[in-house]
Amino acid sequence: MPGPEELVRAAQRGDALAMQELLGLLTPYVGRLCGPIALDDGPDAAQEALIAIFRNLPRLAEPAAIYGWARAIAVREAVRVAKRSRRAVLADLAEVPAAGNPELAVDIRDVLDRLSPEHRAVLVLRDIEGLDEQTAGELLRVPAGTVKSRLSRARKSFRKEWDR
Amino acid sequence: MSWPVAELDAVARMRVLAAALPGAFVAEAVLDAPFDRVWAVAADLENELPRLLRTIRSVRIVRDDGEDLAADITGHFGLRDSFDIVLRPGWCVMQSGRVVGGMAAVAEGSGTRFAFLGAFRVPVTRPLGPVLRLAGRPLGRGMHARLRDRVTEGEG
Repeated sequence: MPGPEELVRAAQRGDALAMQELLGLLTPYVGRLCGPIALDDGPDAAQEALIAIFRNLPRLAEPAAIYGWARAIAVREAVRVAKRSRRAVLADLAEVPAAGNPELAVDIRDVLDRLSPEHRAVLVLRDIEGLDEQTAGELLRVPAGTVKSRLSRARKSFRKEWDR
Repeated sequence: MSWPVAELDAVARMRVLAAALPGAFVAEAVLDAPFDRVWAVAADLENELPRLLRTIRSVRIVRDDGEDLAADITGHFGLRDSFDIVLRPGWCVMQSGRVVGGMAAVAEGSGTRFAFLGAFRVPVTRPLGPVLRLAGRPLGRGMHARLRDRVTEGEG
């Protein structure tokens, strides 16, 4: 079976069977990125992200970079879709209960519900993708210092959950 | 502790594939029959494709390696084409040098959401994309109507 690089090259040439194979590889990856950021809008975000990925695929110069390139598109699309949705909860982190508070959410979904899409994106890039602040900042187009402060504020409130 | 994951069903993935192919049309409908019955008809390419697509006269499977198939398809206007095909439950994509076709199905309530995809693989399709997408709509309606008939006939 061809690897992702070969599939990208064939898809760039308009090979629909390679496209559907690549779609099968990228869909779970994009779903894992869009789910925690866009929450209930995750499927919409994943679909829009994949459309953006495949429409722009002919312009990807380095097929080996497919996953990193797709990640950047997926995270930005997920933030955009989550912000567009009126369901996005834009509560200030200061209003979030402190750790140890009996009201503190017991599962990650409750934790994520209390964060803005941008904060969720930072957590996904750090905790799922393992990116450093500089790289996460470049991807989200914000200064690394902003990533760091978003992360530390989120972690401070939810250390117990994130560190599990 | 597990992170939420966004799932994308087969019909949504077919929408993505349609968006990726210049000039592709995708037509969706919900059929009032369970997935298994609908897919049993759709996946029977040799017998059912000529009934669903009026331009096709015959389909002959010439290679069958599990999910990977190859077929010779003859049209009513004498056109003959060899297709490579991926066929798995709820998902089918077929491609020749000139044409791409696709079918996707997913259970929706007690019925089935079904999508047809069609595209030409010629360079001129990029500028003609919007026109071809519009032209595909009545084509899709006809295919869904015939699929609905075939599923209903299968019940009797």
